[in-house]
Amino acid sequence: MDFKDYYSALGVARDASDDDIRKAYRKLARKYHPDVSKEADADVKMREVNEARDVLSDKEKRAAYDQLADHVARGGSPDGGFRQPPPGWDDGYEFRRGPAQGPADHADFSEFFSSIFGNRGGTAQRGGDGAPYRERGEDHHAAIEISLEDALHGAERQLSLRAQEIDAQGRPRLVDRTLDVKIPAGVRPGQYIRLAGQGLPGHGGEPAGDLYLEVRIAPHPRYRIEGHDLTMTLPVTPTEAALGAQVTVPTPGGGHVDVTIPKGARNGMKLRLKERGLPGKTPGHLYLLLEIVLPPADSDAARAAYEQLAKAAPFNPREHLGA
Amino acid sequence: MRAVTTLLDAAPLTLRELARAVGAEDRWVVRLVEVEILRVDTPADPPERWHFRSADLQRALAARRLERDFGANLDTAALILDLQAELRRARALLGAHGLG
Repeated sequence: MDFKDYYSALGVARDASDDDIRKAYRKLARKYHPDVSKEADADVKMREVNEARDVLSDKEKRAAYDQLADHVARGGSPDGGFRQPPPGWDDGYEFRRGPAQGPADHADFSEFFSSIFGNRGGTAQRGGDGAPYRERGEDHHAAIEISLEDALHGAERQLSLRAQEIDAQGRPRLVDRTLDVKIPAGVRPGQYIRLAGQGLPGHGGEPAGDLYLEVRIAPHPRYRIEGHDLTMTLPVTPTEAALGAQVTVPTPGGGHVDVTIPKGARNGMKLRLKERGLPGKTPGHLYLLLEIVLPPADSDAARAAYEQLAKAAPFNPREHLGA
Repeated sequence: MRAVTTLLDAAPLTLRELARAVGAEDRWVVRLVEVEILRVDTPADPPERWHFRSADLQRALAARRLERDFGANLDTAALILDLQAELRRARALLGAHGLG
């Protein structure tokens, strides 16, 4: 695991002010935001920038990170790599998340981040009046990427998580655990699966928070997904498009269906197969985007057929251009 | 360990649950409804009876980040989220026509 230089990720100096960090973050977030960036690795950069901002904009985390960076600079491991923080590196620092700091959405952060900050909620505390500190555990967020086939048929997936537990002495520690997660059939990208009691642990006997998993569906070689609907490009020959035809089309569920290509079909025309998209209370549709593919003129017979077609059906596709 | 899993849209969140999920106070979620970042089926009902689904959680999280990371007020966040949604719709349309 490499030690991450959060200052260079944001392009700021070690003594940068909070304002410098905020400005640098906003500039980079605009550059790498997935909705606007043209950079090939924008997602990766955005994650790095988010992670650096999360640490450097929090006084406690930044101070602890600086201390760790000094330690690594003084006696870092010979290969220049970073294995894990030394014992006691975070003495005196506590990473409790206040209500103004937003969701615990560190799902995309690096292994380095997890190894030093984990999902910390702080050590056991006591209320100001001496009463035991009691608080329900925070909800946590992560993402799960599944295949389209899993989304269509439902599945059971094993999820590995690094999570916090409170030990017998009331101190938090990070443990790796696996969860069996049921993926319901018909789940769509952007939907959330809630896992009750799998968030951060509670304090003073209060229950743990919940874990929210955002569903992402991996790109599929054949289908594009939008909400409930699926779109597939369907290649057809010029003859099928001109004269109409019945063609057999594979469906996402694994079967086949006969589809009528209407006479005079155009390139880019969309046909709808009702309720053949993602299943659910309101099933989605499967759209077929027609793509007219020319047979290659790679034989005398094929070339003769094209020439005969040109004579039989004279046609100027550039007429509207005045050419 | 087998976890009890629930699809959010089959068992929507209450106002309190949504607030907790985004690390916010209840009144912050009420503000999201007021500025129409979130739309509820029955706005005339008391907030305790409102329900929220996956798309609401996604928009609330995005609004929280815009507020935290860019200092956006909620009216600005509402505009940005609407523009983002429009951009994604337009890109999906282009993609569906093989132009993405």
